[in-house]
Amino acid sequence: MHGIDWVDVGLSGLKIAIVLGAMLNVTPIMVWVERRGSALIQDRPGPNRVGPFGLFQSFADALKFVLKEDMLPAKANKVLYTIAPMFGLIPALTTIAVVPWGRPFLLPGGRLFEPIIANVNIGILLIFALASMGVYGIVMAGWASANKYSLFGGIRASAQMISYELSLTLAAVSALMVAGSLSLTDVVWRQTGSFVLFNTIKLPAWNICSPAMWMSFIVFFVSAFAETNRLPFDFAEADAELVAGYHTEYSSMKFALFFMSEYMAMATMSALITTLFLGGWDVPWYNEPPTAFGFAVSVLAFLVKVSIILFIFVWVRWTIPRLKYDLLMKLGWKVFLPMAVGNVVLVAWFIAKRWI
Amino acid sequence: MITFAIFFFFAAIAVIFAAVVVLHRNPVVGALSLVASFFALAVMYVLLEAPFLAALQVIVYAGAIMVLFLFVIMLLNLQHQEEPRTRPVQQFLGYTTSAAFGLALIYYLAKFGVTKLPEGPFVSDARTVGIRMFEAYIFPFEMVSILLLAAIVGALILSGRTGAIPPPTGENKL
Repeated sequence: MHGIDWVDVGLSGLKIAIVLGAMLNVTPIMVWVERRGSALIQDRPGPNRVGPFGLFQSFADALKFVLKEDMLPAKANKVLYTIAPMFGLIPALTTIAVVPWGRPFLLPGGRLFEPIIANVNIGILLIFALASMGVYGIVMAGWASANKYSLFGGIRASAQMISYELSLTLAAVSALMVAGSLSLTDVVWRQTGSFVLFNTIKLPAWNICSPAMWMSFIVFFVSAFAETNRLPFDFAEADAELVAGYHTEYSSMKFALFFMSEYMAMATMSALITTLFLGGWDVPWYNEPPTAFGFAVSVLAFLVKVSIILFIFVWVRWTIPRLKYDLLMKLGWKVFLPMAVGNVVLVAWFIAKRWI
Repeated sequence: MITFAIFFFFAAIAVIFAAVVVLHRNPVVGALSLVASFFALAVMYVLLEAPFLAALQVIVYAGAIMVLFLFVIMLLNLQHQEEPRTRPVQQFLGYTTSAAFGLALIYYLAKFGVTKLPEGPFVSDARTVGIRMFEAYIFPFEMVSILLLAAIVGALILSGRTGAIPPPTGENKL
């Protein structure tokens, strides 16, 4: 075994600390955005008493969660009931590791700093593998609670996840075909720079601007809502039909874990949408220099894009009502799946013609 | 050294959870244990420097197929029931057959099993696997897809309302 490169280990530790810190802080910030955002949309003030603009409301919520009694239903399967919330959290936390969040730049010592925790060449497959494990947290919780509403939530979650995973993956395939690689770093590099459409407008070379790709962006975007169990596709909890679905029986910190994993999964999905279709850390019409300044600008661009998508998640939740269950299945299998497959063929045609 | 520790840890997980699948009476626990076993198996692929296969193992088996298994188990709401008593002849046949199969497996693995990796760089990325699959193995690949298509058509006919089998009547139980 060769000597361990301690600078490399230190940098990796730093990157993990930064990303983990950001991911853990997504939940309190998003809870505040969700509550104030819903209030904005419904024309009411919302929580505005705790701290400036109600910013500390999330901390009050967290305190409430910690102090609540942790209940265990008498007929529940104790082991599965306890590990289910943790199981939901792991995929939400780990998938972000393969997403690049800034432009690489040279450190003073001549070392290249790559702002990605694990630059593996199967990046996107790793994300789909871990994301497909996310459904088990919900299914386990639904079954272990020994409650009919919870069970229904779990069953619905598994059916819905399987249906929309297909369109989600196929929509991502077209982005990977254009980049010619499974690594998300390559996908982002492919989208830097710009191209001229019909000799008139100069557009950034993002996948969403490409005439062959905007359709798969729509499919991916809508499927992302289904994968994260957000309205209009929140059939796993569906509070009007199933009380609270899979987490009906949960309270205290176990419930808080479900809450956290929902918002973290949202953040990961937003990061993935940004990386696959919105150019990742690329600033449009601007060539970032490979310096600390270019790095800072690119990280800022990435954060802005992710925040916009996250806000759209909230916006949609409070604007569009829940679909009917059969409509959800029809939409997934009869609209989005053919759209995604057709788009793969279209992109293949474009590549064969060397148009992209 | 670290590789060995990881190998034995995940090998133990794979074997233990595989045993739970067979021995536990609750079908849901069994299915979830199978997921854990598949996941540990994927780690084996990573240790063999085949991360692409590992990712596919998790996506296809642990992610897709087992979710369907769980879906069906939960939809039918299977509870563990008292199994019908078996006759001594059945028990004898079952034990001897499985013992013979196990011995044959050990014998052939000891005789023909791979004990070390082939020399040279071992490439198993998406490009290599894809080229292999669509050049050398294109015929088996297409055969498998026809087989799967036949299975899908069969499932559609069995579950269809205009098919040979009449639709299930009434009784909407959970």
